[in-house]
Amino acid sequence: MISNPLALIAEITHRCPLHCVYCSNPLELAAAGSELSTEKWIDVFQQAGKLGMLHAHFTGGEPLARPDLTELIAGAHHAGLYTNLITSGIGLGEARLKELVDAGLDHIQVSFQDSREEAANWIAGAKAHAHKIDLSHLIHQHKIAFTVNLVVHRQNIDHLEEMIAFIERLVPERMEIAHTQYYGWALKNRAALLPTRAQLEKAVQVVAAAETRLAGRIRIDSVVPDYYARFPKACMGGWGRRLMLINPAGKVLPCHAAEVIPDMTFENVRDQSLEFIWQRSSSFQRFRGEEWMPEPCRSCDRRAEDFGGCRCQALLLTGNAAATDPACSLAPAHHIVEAALAEANSSAAVSQPITAASFVQLQHRTENLWSYRTNPE
Amino acid sequence: MAPPEDTSQPRLAAGCRWAAESKSGSAQERMILFPEGAIKLQGTGRQVLERCDGQRTFGQLIKELQGEFSAADPVKIRADISQFLEQLRHKRIVDY
Repeated sequence: MISNPLALIAEITHRCPLHCVYCSNPLELAAAGSELSTEKWIDVFQQAGKLGMLHAHFTGGEPLARPDLTELIAGAHHAGLYTNLITSGIGLGEARLKELVDAGLDHIQVSFQDSREEAANWIAGAKAHAHKIDLSHLIHQHKIAFTVNLVVHRQNIDHLEEMIAFIERLVPERMEIAHTQYYGWALKNRAALLPTRAQLEKAVQVVAAAETRLAGRIRIDSVVPDYYARFPKACMGGWGRRLMLINPAGKVLPCHAAEVIPDMTFENVRDQSLEFIWQRSSSFQRFRGEEWMPEPCRSCDRRAEDFGGCRCQALLLTGNAAATDPACSLAPAHHIVEAALAEANSSAAVSQPITAASFVQLQHRTENLWSYRTNPE
Repeated sequence: MAPPEDTSQPRLAAGCRWAAESKSGSAQERMILFPEGAIKLQGTGRQVLERCDGQRTFGQLIKELQGEFSAADPVKIRADISQFLEQLRHKRIVDY
C-alpha cells in the first residue's frame, strides 16, 4: 500500500497575460475551451482532502484569468486544504484580494522577473512590473503569508544582490530564488538563459550572504540549477510519491512536463477518481519505486534520495524517459549537459548578457534571442 | 537573530495554521501547515506551540511548562524552548 499524496498542483488555466521566456507550461498549451468547470474542480478538491492531501497550489497560466477563482479557493479551503495562489498578480486589485482571503486563501506567491522595470517587462513580454509592486503593498493589509519568487538566469544573475535588496523592500515572509529549469519554453530558450559557471558561483555567495543577513526576517529558499550540480534533483520528490498535478483540461500528471513523454496515457478527472489514479493508474506507477531504474541508478546509494532525477529531463535530453537524468555526473548521457555548459561558458558565447536599456530597444534586440511563450487558443 | 524575551508574545507566523484534527494520524498528534509543507507535533513540541497564541508572553509560557514538567530542570526547559522557538522563527513558522 503506497502512502497518500501530499499536495495537489491545480493548473487551472493556461491562459496568461505574461509571456515569460522560461514559462514552465508545456509548448502545447491546453485550449481555453477545454478547461474544467467550477463544479468539477470543487469535486476534485473534495477528493483531494479525503485522500489526505494537505496543500492545494493554484497555478496556471495565470489563475486570476479564471473569473471563478474565489469559488475555487473556497472549495479547496472547505475540503481542508491549505491554499496557495501562485500568481503574476495581473488581475488582482484590492477588492478581489479581500474576496480571496475571505474565501480562505492562506498564502500568495508573486513572481518578479527582475528589480529593474524595463528588464522585468522584457522577460515577461508584458508591462507587469509596476502593478506587482503595488500589489505587494496591498498584500500586507491581510494576514496571509507572502512569498516573492524570483527566477534567475544568464540575463539577470549579475545583479542578484540588487534584486534581493529590491525584494527585501517588499517585505515578504519568504523569498524563493529559483534558477531556470530547462523544460518547455525555457529549454527552447536555453542558450539565452543558462548562466556561466562564474555567474553561478558568485550568485551562490550572494544568496548565502543574504540568508545570514535576513535570518529570522525573510526565509530564503533557493533552487540550484541542476545542470551545474553533481547529482540530479529529486524531481517532484519522486515520481508518484508526493504530488499530483491536474492540468486545465483535467489530465492528471505526476509532474508539470510529463506530457512530453511519449507512449503514456494520462487519466482525466472527468473519467476517474483521484484515488484510482494515484493508486492504480499506469502513468503514476510507471516510474514509481525502483523497478524501472537503469544502472547506475539501480545500485546507487543515492537512489532513495534523488530517485534517478527527472524523467522529463531524461526524455527531453536523451529521448529515453527511463534513462538516468543527464544532469547527474554519473549518468551515461551526462555529456549532453556538459556540452550545453561548454557552450554557455565558451568565449564565443551564444549571447552575452544584455544590460537593460530601454524596453523598446531590448525587444528589438530580442528578435533572434528567444521565443516568448504564446497563449492557448 | 535574537531568542525570545520574557515579554515576547510568540504566535504562529502569517500563513501558518493548525490543520483540521482529521488530518493527523492519531489523537496525540496535531499538524501545523505552512506554505511549503507541514510539521507534525506531539508531546512537548505540541504543548509549546499550542501556547503560542499571541496573547501569552514567553515568560508565562515557560512558567506553565515548568509547572507541567516539575521533575525536569527548569533552566533546561527554558533553554530548550527558547532554542525551539528560535529555530521555528528562522523557518518563518513562528514570530515573537
